[in-house]
Amino acid sequence: MRKTARFAAVAMAAALTLSACGSDDGADEGTDNGDAPAATSDVKVGMAYDVGGRGDQSFNDSAAAGLDQAVEEFGMEAQESEAEDGEAESAREERLRTFADAGYDPIIAVGFAYAASIAKVSEEYPDVNFAIIDDSSVEADNVASLVFAEEQGSFLVGAAAALKTETDQIGFVGGVETPLIQKFEAGYVAGAEAVNPDIEVDVTYLTQVPDFSGFADPAKGKTAAQGMFDNGADIVYHAAGGSGGGVFEAASESDNLAIGVDSDQYNTADPSVQDVILTSMLKNVNVAVYEYLSDVEAGDVPSGVTTYDLAVDGVGYSTSGGFVDDIVDQLDEFKQQIIDGEITVPTAP
Amino acid sequence: MPDVAPAVRLRGIGKRFPGVIANDDINIDVARGTIHAIVGENGAGKSTLMKILYGVQAPDSGTIEIAGEQVSLSSPADAIRHGVGMVFQHFQLADNFTVLENVVLGAEKLHGIGAAARAEITRISDAYGLGIEPDRLVEDLGVGARQRVEILKVLYRGAKVVILDEPTAVLVPQEVDELFGNLRELKAEGLSVIFISHKLDEVLSVADEITVIRRGTTVATVDPAGVTSRQLAELMVGSELPSPSTESSTVTDRVTLHVADLSLPGAEGPGQGRPLLDAISFDIHAGEVLGIAGVEGNGQAELVEAIMGMRPGATGSIRLAGVDLDQLSTRRRREAGIGYIPEDRHRHGLLLDAPLWENRVLGHQTRKPWARLGLIDRKAARADTERIVADYDVRTPGVDTLARALSGGNQQKLIVGREMSGEPILLIAAHPTRGVDVGAQAAIWGHIKDARRAGLAVLLISADLDELIGLSDRIEVILRGRMVGSFDPSHVTPEQLGSAMTGAGGAV
Amino acid sequence: MKDPRLVKLGLGLAAPVLALLLAFLITSLVLVVAGDPVGEVWSTILGVPEERNIANILNNATVLYLSGLAVAVGFRMNLFNIGVDGQYRVAAFVAAVVAGEAWLPGAANTVLAILAAMLAGAAWAGIAGVLRARRGVSEVISTIMLNFIATGLVAYFLRRVAVREEGSNDIGTKEIPEGSRIPGFSIGDGPTEVYGFIFLAALAGFVYWFVLNRTRFGFDLRATGRSTTAAVASGISVTKMTVVAMLISGAVAGLVGLPLLFGDSYSYGSTFQSGLGFAGIAIALLGRNHPIGIAIGALLFAYLDEQSNPLQILVGVSPDIVAITQGVIVLTVVISYEVVRRYGVRLEQHAVARALEADRQEARA
Repeated sequence: MRKTARFAAVAMAAALTLSACGSDDGADEGTDNGDAPAATSDVKVGMAYDVGGRGDQSFNDSAAAGLDQAVEEFGMEAQESEAEDGEAESAREERLRTFADAGYDPIIAVGFAYAASIAKVSEEYPDVNFAIIDDSSVEADNVASLVFAEEQGSFLVGAAAALKTETDQIGFVGGVETPLIQKFEAGYVAGAEAVNPDIEVDVTYLTQVPDFSGFADPAKGKTAAQGMFDNGADIVYHAAGGSGGGVFEAASESDNLAIGVDSDQYNTADPSVQDVILTSMLKNVNVAVYEYLSDVEAGDVPSGVTTYDLAVDGVGYSTSGGFVDDIVDQLDEFKQQIIDGEITVPTAP
Repeated sequence: MPDVAPAVRLRGIGKRFPGVIANDDINIDVARGTIHAIVGENGAGKSTLMKILYGVQAPDSGTIEIAGEQVSLSSPADAIRHGVGMVFQHFQLADNFTVLENVVLGAEKLHGIGAAARAEITRISDAYGLGIEPDRLVEDLGVGARQRVEILKVLYRGAKVVILDEPTAVLVPQEVDELFGNLRELKAEGLSVIFISHKLDEVLSVADEITVIRRGTTVATVDPAGVTSRQLAELMVGSELPSPSTESSTVTDRVTLHVADLSLPGAEGPGQGRPLLDAISFDIHAGEVLGIAGVEGNGQAELVEAIMGMRPGATGSIRLAGVDLDQLSTRRRREAGIGYIPEDRHRHGLLLDAPLWENRVLGHQTRKPWARLGLIDRKAARADTERIVADYDVRTPGVDTLARALSGGNQQKLIVGREMSGEPILLIAAHPTRGVDVGAQAAIWGHIKDARRAGLAVLLISADLDELIGLSDRIEVILRGRMVGSFDPSHVTPEQLGSAMTGAGGAV
Repeated sequence: MKDPRLVKLGLGLAAPVLALLLAFLITSLVLVVAGDPVGEVWSTILGVPEERNIANILNNATVLYLSGLAVAVGFRMNLFNIGVDGQYRVAAFVAAVVAGEAWLPGAANTVLAILAAMLAGAAWAGIAGVLRARRGVSEVISTIMLNFIATGLVAYFLRRVAVREEGSNDIGTKEIPEGSRIPGFSIGDGPTEVYGFIFLAALAGFVYWFVLNRTRFGFDLRATGRSTTAAVASGISVTKMTVVAMLISGAVAGLVGLPLLFGDSYSYGSTFQSGLGFAGIAIALLGRNHPIGIAIGALLFAYLDEQSNPLQILVGVSPDIVAITQGVIVLTVVISYEVVRRYGVRLEQHAVARALEADRQEARA
């Protein structure tokens, strides 16, 4: 019925869930009918995306990049399906079941919205392996949870912002106010305050659940960032998926700086705004997907929680453009302290 | 007829609409320099015929000749090009424009919009005695003058044949006389006038020839000198004729409706501007018909709605058989015994897309025999609708037919039947026979007379002065929201009423 | 003469059948243009659903049905309640909080939560009703605005009361205790149970029909919808009816989220299904505001929704095809109803003309 929502001209989200931005290097061809790969594998991967699916220039695309890499390398067969805006819980369950019935194994669910469905369906199909990204609430032998320490990466870019700011005032633009995006905020604020306890951090979210349009609305992103720049901030970090483009534009127009998210946006964003991207918080969903699939390929199907944090370079910050070259040492010191447990980054604001 | 070709000749014109034959084998010759009247009941097919002649609709069959030349008219512009112009019943003038601007609007190419146009307008006005000043604002003009502007518009565009659709419906008798004077001028100048009406006395006084249309076809063309209005009417109806006159008085001394000092402020609010109703007081006794005469828009509609409780803001006192209505809702007032035949049956009287039986229930939702514990007994409602259909001669295939499918007369008969049910003690009838055919008109008059005889008080509003004079026991004239004169219908003429309605004459 | 009610029924059936045929043709055309396998798509869509799919369809239809009913109540009075979406989310949230707090035991808790939901939905819609009745504000505008406000309001309060499971990125209200859930039933041995709420939805449909068609209140409501002016003249208080109709529409909207709440998720969280109110508009249109028609519309939509996954995974076509089909169905229904309606009016005029003609013949004889 969300089709009807569209029909009724009420635009809802484009991208459920995550912040995130473009995939590292443009989406590859669809995986189900690409060129015959050199290697062959008998693994059939079912990929259940969140709303937006492949081509969302964001979180789903990042997962798709990991899948493409594995398909290319191991010659796996893959089939994809995407969630629709405002769909029923049963539709998510049904998606997983349809994959399972059609012989797909493993089945990767992209996004925390699948948590309840995975819990239910993994029980119904004990012989099928499942993976879920951004959720670790499901405990089952046939479920692998791939989660990220977004707060750690955000801590480092927060520190970078605090080191670079000239006004001692920075900003954070979240796409949709969910606990997941709040993790980005929490880490960012903590990192900034670690450098300068008196720093002022403006925080705003573009939309509230169930309106997920905050991940796909550059105009909203631009307005929010503009407000922060006008208000005296000179660096704004966004965790707002496709809306981030607007944040970059606002920075470019007002001669300020912005921080990207998920992938190295210096390379993926529009070239005209390249030089305002101070750094990007890297959340390597593609790495997680690829590593999970290579383990599957190797016959060693992971289960339980895998946390991609600074220690395994599952999250991090980018240096493209060279804007942070002069503070790399300080940032790496923070990084080491986090890895060593000397600093515990909060996960909620 | 001389060998000159007639101004308009129609031969075998036919036009069908889904389910209806609007025109069938219409044959008319309109000679040059004459006034040719076309008469017929409502729904006889006059309007369709005029639309065909004015190029609004194309006939399915038949030919049209204008000045001897066979033409095909596919638009009003075509018609104008061939010298046929039409004056509609509802004026098509922009109020905030001057006469000049209204006349040249859409015809700028003829004489420009300046001095040449003004000169042409003055010329036409003088030539036909229209007495039009080109620079007056239309909103300052009276109804008669506006109509003359419409006629001038048509002449300005070069019409040789002028069609007038029910032109006297909006006029008081004095204005009618003026109009007829103008028409005779047109005729004297060699133009032809096609005059559509159902008011037979007027037709007889002005027309040179009269064509009667019945059920879509021409039944006769007669010379007015040789027929009486009664004969003409019988040609129209194809049967015997009713008359509105009432029998001996049934007025009692029991006051049924007592209205005292009823006022309704205008749009500007209380104490500002002219009130819509200004201190109106009257009584209607049981068995009495009180007629309200007035030019439309002088407060008749507001008076009725104030009595019905549909006008918040009305002040004063209204008592029905001793019951104070002031604080009661419309529904309670109806329940107290008011039957209401609204002025506009489509807007206020019917649910057009609902079956007849639902229309029967409308306004009587809380009444027996169908209302029980908040439920509506459909069977009882259907049965009672059958009764009305039979008693009031509503022509319909059944009570599940949608109201929309019925003709105006049958819709009105249903409304009258409904409002006479439920034992009313007061019947408010606003223009009860407007837009209905002669047959239904007679029936409705009969029902109003029956109501009066049965001891109902009747408040009758009508623009048809004959109807008012014929049915009423007493006539009050309303002008600008005030009662300005009381007349005894047995001693008043339409002309006297007309004077009072326009404020020209005093009360008796 | 044929029974006019039979004719009416025939015409009533002709419209949806015509619409479905048209939709089938147009969708096929779209598939051909998109280069998708037409035959395979239809054989998947028209294939026999499995038991668990049937359960899903019934469940989804239950929710859509309530939404369609809520919209239809407004439609019957010419009120366009676009705000069902906001109303059901506010109501579902309130019900989730009430039921989660479990102030009363077992079923009493359920009843209390349902009443709370209806009240909340009614109150939220009532705002638009009062604005319309007292200030003449178009309910279209006000309900859209109230949808936005509902989103913000619910998100705000959700964060205040939310509980979050360890490791989850979802937040939700407290789970409803087991005794207060509405048990479902299984069809065959599928893993998915049909919501017990389906019976309450059917009851709601019956009440809707009964109130509208058998009661004086329903008569007044329909009369107002058909002609405000005639309603006023007949003694109906239109302002009162406007407010009451919006309250009822909102109360029914309050039920929309409850099947999900009591039969599936047991809490209101950020993944709670949204957009149901807009689907309700299409379904009410599809069902011509008739309780059976709405049920058919809801089933049809639910059925098509259920095809979305197999189409993607098994046939490899875009789920947008399903969206297109749904959109096309709504459009064709609206068009074919108009066509059939005009035809019906013509038939009726013919009938009246024939009846009158017969009278005349008689009179002449």
